Amino acid sequence: MSVSRDDFSIAFRSALLQRGGTQKFSIFSLIILAIVIFFLDVYGFNASKIARGIINDVVYRVTYLASAPTRTFPDLQNGISSHFNLRKENEELKQVIEKYKALDLNLEYLTNENRSLKKVLNAENILNVSNIVLAKVIVDRNSPFLKSIILNKGSKHGISKGMPVNQNKYLIGRIVETNYLSSRVLLLNDLNSRIPVSLDIDNTQAILTGSGTSVPKLEYLPENYELDNGVTVFASGKDGIFSAGTPIGETMQDGNVKLFVDPNQLSFATVVLIKQNEEKF
Amino acid sequence: MAKGNLIHRLFALGPIFLLYYLSISEVDTNLEKIFEIFSFNLQIIIIYFWIIKRPNLMSPGHIFVAGLINDVVMGFPLGISSLSYLLVCFVGNYVRNKSVNTTIASDWFTFFIALMFSNLLFFSLINNFTEFNISYSKIGYNTFFTLFMFPIFWLLFNLYQMSFIGNQDA
Repeated sequence: MSVSRDDFSIAFRSALLQRGGTQKFSIFSLIILAIVIFFLDVYGFNASKIARGIINDVVYRVTYLASAPTRTFPDLQNGISSHFNLRKENEELKQVIEKYKALDLNLEYLTNENRSLKKVLNAENILNVSNIVLAKVIVDRNSPFLKSIILNKGSKHGISKGMPVNQNKYLIGRIVETNYLSSRVLLLNDLNSRIPVSLDIDNTQAILTGSGTSVPKLEYLPENYELDNGVTVFASGKDGIFSAGTPIGETMQDGNVKLFVDPNQLSFATVVLIKQNEEKF
Repeated sequence: MAKGNLIHRLFALGPIFLLYYLSISEVDTNLEKIFEIFSFNLQIIIIYFWIIKRPNLMSPGHIFVAGLINDVVMGFPLGISSLSYLLVCFVGNYVRNKSVNTTIASDWFTFFIALMFSNLLFFSLINNFTEFNISYSKIGYNTFFTLFMFPIFWLLFNLYQMSFIGNQDA
């Protein structure tokens, strides 16, 4: 019995403390370090906030670069198996057309990017509006738990926490984290998103709550309220953050709201540089 | 000879490169577009497999840094993914110390324990020390599919190991 207890403690200690040839740190020391970093970050000491901002800016840029292949060749993942088969059969032919194909894809990507930018510029009439910042989505990582995107503009461009973010005049979310050169947008479909909205001709008030899926739901509707299909939902502006009347989406029969902008298809967004009112919803 | 050695070293770097790439890039294993509830945590599978099989290729320092990068990209508090990954690493180390020969079934069972510890710590910290709301059903689905996908990746990684690195177990 005592032998098995010794075995347990030896294996336990060894797993925590051992360092191999290439291992410079034991798991135990790294766990302690991770705990310290976690609490420094959670309890938001000033120095750790600055450090986090710098790390965020650097990592977001690297992420953007690392994700370049998947952005430039969006069909690569889907077609990878067929590409392998084609390569065997058409190796010689592929070598000849490869550079033309790359040029074509590059052209298509640039054309799409140009078209999106033109759309955004037309929709927001940016030339006449000084309190809007046009930003590019640099990281759009699809997490099962948090629905957010990273923009390439930050506090340097006047963006601060809480500012609303639109695309083509439709509301898509709000800023929840700002760094010097980047910022994070919490999308409307995230579980943590709550927005006061109004709908129908009676200006009925409700709260649009993210559900983690692509369609957020309406909560706190009046009792016995019968929801019609296809009613446009607007931001009510009662929180003092979002401009009243910003369109968000259309109601569905089951109480969910189909957003006007697909949260998975964002490439550009505009941040409205408004200061949050003191009066909160 | 030197060229062969270099290629062998590059293949040996494959798992750690994959771990870093999954942490830093937009490539993810959240396949909700294909099937509404389908998402799994490939990083944990990678860490556990290579810690069990070839710990010299997956040092805790790299795991720690990959966790920090993952936190930044995902928007979680810094250190939380590192803690979760290091716990998996610890369970893997313990199992490796205690076992002589492992099979896919024994690895799968011990992976379940590592996954439970890791997710319990991760979501307890999120729940108690942050203001994030996280759907418990999504956690459940993610855990289930991570467990479900483990044997598939076990076979793939084992094939990679035997083909490119060598089949010598730790």
